[in-house]
Amino acid sequence: MKQTIKHLAVAVLLFSTVIIACKKTDTSIDTSNNGTFKVYTEGNVTTVQNLMADTILGINPITFQPYGSGKFTFFNLATGQIVANSDSATNKWDIGFRGTTIITNNGTSGPGLGGAFVQVGLFNEVAKVATDSIIRIDNAPNFAIKIGSNKGWYVYDGPNNLITPIPGRVLVIKTATEKYAKVEIINYYKGGVTPAATASDAVKLSQQRYFSFRYTYQASGSTTF
Amino acid sequence: MQKKYFSFLFFLLISQSIFGQIDSLFNNLNEIVVTATRTERKLGNIAVPVSIITEKNIKQAASLRLNDILNEQVGLFLTSGFGVGVQMQGLNPDYTLILLNGEPLIGRNAGVLDLNRITVGNIQKIEIVKGPSSSLYGSEAMAGVINIITKQPKENKVETNIRYGTYNTSDATLNISQKIGNLSLQYFVNNYSTNGFSIRPHSVERTVSPIWRFTNQLQLNYPLHNKTKLTVLARYNFENINNKIAVTNTGNTTYSDGFEQHKDFNLNTVLTHQFNKNISSNVRLYHAQFNSIQDLKAASTKNYFDYFLQNFYRVENQTEFILSSKNIINIGAGYLFENVRSSRYDDINNTKKNTVGYLFVQDEFKPSEKLNIFAGFRFDNNQNYASAFSPKLAINYNPNKKISINASVGRGFKAPDFRQLYLNFTNTAAGSYSVFGALEAQAQVLKLDQLGQIQSYESDFYNLSFLKPEFSTGINIGTKINLTTTSYLNINLFRNDVENLIDNRLIANYKNGSQIFSYLNVKNAFTKGIEINYGIKVAKYYTISSGYQFLLTGDKQQIESIKNGLIFTKDINGIARKMELSEYYGLPNRSRNMANLKLLFESKYFFINTRIIYRDKWAVADKDGNGVYNTNDEFANGFLQLNFSIGNQFKNGFGIQTGCDNITNYSDINNLPNMLGRNFYLSINYQITKNKKQNETNN
Repeated sequence: MKQTIKHLAVAVLLFSTVIIACKKTDTSIDTSNNGTFKVYTEGNVTTVQNLMADTILGINPITFQPYGSGKFTFFNLATGQIVANSDSATNKWDIGFRGTTIITNNGTSGPGLGGAFVQVGLFNEVAKVATDSIIRIDNAPNFAIKIGSNKGWYVYDGPNNLITPIPGRVLVIKTATEKYAKVEIINYYKGGVTPAATASDAVKLSQQRYFSFRYTYQASGSTTF
Repeated sequence: MQKKYFSFLFFLLISQSIFGQIDSLFNNLNEIVVTATRTERKLGNIAVPVSIITEKNIKQAASLRLNDILNEQVGLFLTSGFGVGVQMQGLNPDYTLILLNGEPLIGRNAGVLDLNRITVGNIQKIEIVKGPSSSLYGSEAMAGVINIITKQPKENKVETNIRYGTYNTSDATLNISQKIGNLSLQYFVNNYSTNGFSIRPHSVERTVSPIWRFTNQLQLNYPLHNKTKLTVLARYNFENINNKIAVTNTGNTTYSDGFEQHKDFNLNTVLTHQFNKNISSNVRLYHAQFNSIQDLKAASTKNYFDYFLQNFYRVENQTEFILSSKNIINIGAGYLFENVRSSRYDDINNTKKNTVGYLFVQDEFKPSEKLNIFAGFRFDNNQNYASAFSPKLAINYNPNKKISINASVGRGFKAPDFRQLYLNFTNTAAGSYSVFGALEAQAQVLKLDQLGQIQSYESDFYNLSFLKPEFSTGINIGTKINLTTTSYLNINLFRNDVENLIDNRLIANYKNGSQIFSYLNVKNAFTKGIEINYGIKVAKYYTISSGYQFLLTGDKQQIESIKNGLIFTKDINGIARKMELSEYYGLPNRSRNMANLKLLFESKYFFINTRIIYRDKWAVADKDGNGVYNTNDEFANGFLQLNFSIGNQFKNGFGIQTGCDNITNYSDINNLPNMLGRNFYLSINYQITKNKKQNETNN
């Protein structure tokens, strides 16, 4: 009897050690801003929250594709303000957002002298625009910041129907008036919070196309940030 | 939470406390196995890790389908998606060969052979060989081999078992063994049906759909001569699954109704001849056919129809030469022909074919009583892809009768399958992307380009080439120890390095922005770990056995990228930061820790069996979008599963058994879609043996 209990105790102890050793801890995400458009600057870094980029109005009953108004939301990096859609053919805007498409003021997108490219690295570590950089021009449907999963700034998780910015992708932007800026896209969903993989498609659709990003703008025209 | 489990467990233990004297020993080193060497050898003389599941293990766990019993084995991780597959030593279901009496079962979907298709009602034992075994079995035997050995006709015997349980699940089995003159016959029939179940009680869709399965098997053994034996085995398996699917879009729900049917047929003829006391040989003729049909009707849209027909024919000879008491050589050669016709390829009427010719040699050298050396190789010459050479060397050393030490190194391979060669699929429902098999991709894309549909080519388009088989090099080092007459300890360390893994890659883009994919040999990965099994008979009727596996996996290119500082993750605010190698979690869908514990009380007629299965968390989604799985990503929760059964066999041939699986009713709808909720069952069996005294239990 004693012998048995001893063996059992050892076996159960071993088993439970394995289980306890594998317990994990969870982290939580800051959700203080729940959906209002907000711009604030700290030092030389400006953060933009909840920039609505053609949010979804409904779903096409034939193609099942979600649709919005089809219009870009334009943004001026120097002023940190949204530019009216009617000013699309001017140099007032530097960067435009519509769903996952990000355009810059140049080529087929606008009259400006801008351009862009995507650099692999950390926002803080992109110190200057390298002299040998090739600044790409929009030529729809090929944009300077490539559209498509894992090609430009985001990856699309098909099974879970979620868009996630790829960490370590810095968008180097040449503005309409040939100034430089670096941009890091932080989140694609309302309030800066990606819905859980288990959330319903209705939630995933209604919460998407709200950009959170941060940037540094170099007003002097210098290529150093 | 865990406290609750354990107090319950102790309750079970104490309620089972009937102690006696320790008697019999685990004689597992003398067990005869066939799968490891393709010859009958004692387990203690085998140089690779082998585990055996006996008929008794299956009965006491009250398993119905093959996945039920494999789920309770340490180191085997069941996967969902395209049926239930088994992951062995951290390698996907595609890389484990599944044999029925030594012959391969066919009918894989996306690389997975659905284990639910196989009933366990006529199984005598299951042998599981871990580590690459392509030197004997060729393609698919990369992670290992699972060989299902069905009951052999022995004595005149009738056995039947009827079971009923939760979800209106019924299972009925009949086994008849009969001798008619020199002819021995074994007939088996099984009927299984279930209403399935739903985790969301008011939903039309069933988590597990209503299923009907039917299996029929007949084996005939006939001695043509005292040195020549003929065996014929025929098996037919049918399953019908009712599908009801509801898709809701903007508040409108579309219902689809349909079915899925799988038919499986196998015919195997084996002729064995003993030429003299040193030379024996067998010829095996094997045919297998698998047919799958899926038909879904929706009120508004077009029918979804899928058809798949696979035929497999093989002829093989294996001859054993006993050269001396120290040296035995086995030589085998064979030819196989395979064809497939499917709606998933370019044209349902086009039959795709493949042929393979192969040769294998295995030498078993015994320089002393304590040492066994196995050296061998196999060469497979394929029609549709590059040939494969698979060598293996294994050493077994027995310093004394209690300890057996093994070391083996071998190459395994998996041939590209028909899907990877010929698939021609365009998903019109989701984004109109296309996937083309490697043999057809270039021609298809060029044709589309002529039609003006191609926007651009990706660099991988130019990398498309004759697919190579996926290769692995596996090392296993382990020991089997009989600690005392009533306890054992098995330890095995393993490492598998996989090269040329086939993965899909973007090769071109349509003008409308949709993408075209094909298959290329692009990835290199590894899996490594340790497996420990321990068992002890603590009292006359009392056995405890437990197992544990620790597993690490990784993609070599990903590790290289992390080391080069090219992979980033996000901090709590969504800001990118560098990812450390220590955060890397390896391949998805793998648990680092797995364990099981089995407590068995067993007297001659009565048993109580409690099993606890533990699985650590596993990565399921790349939440931070960096393309690798790291500690920041989404994981499925680790869980405990608790199964319990109790049974009694009466002297008049009747037996009764009842139990409950998944006692804690654990569920995880997203990550464990095939896991049944708490379910109870009751089964009654009856067996009658002629010419021998009745009530022989657990043959």
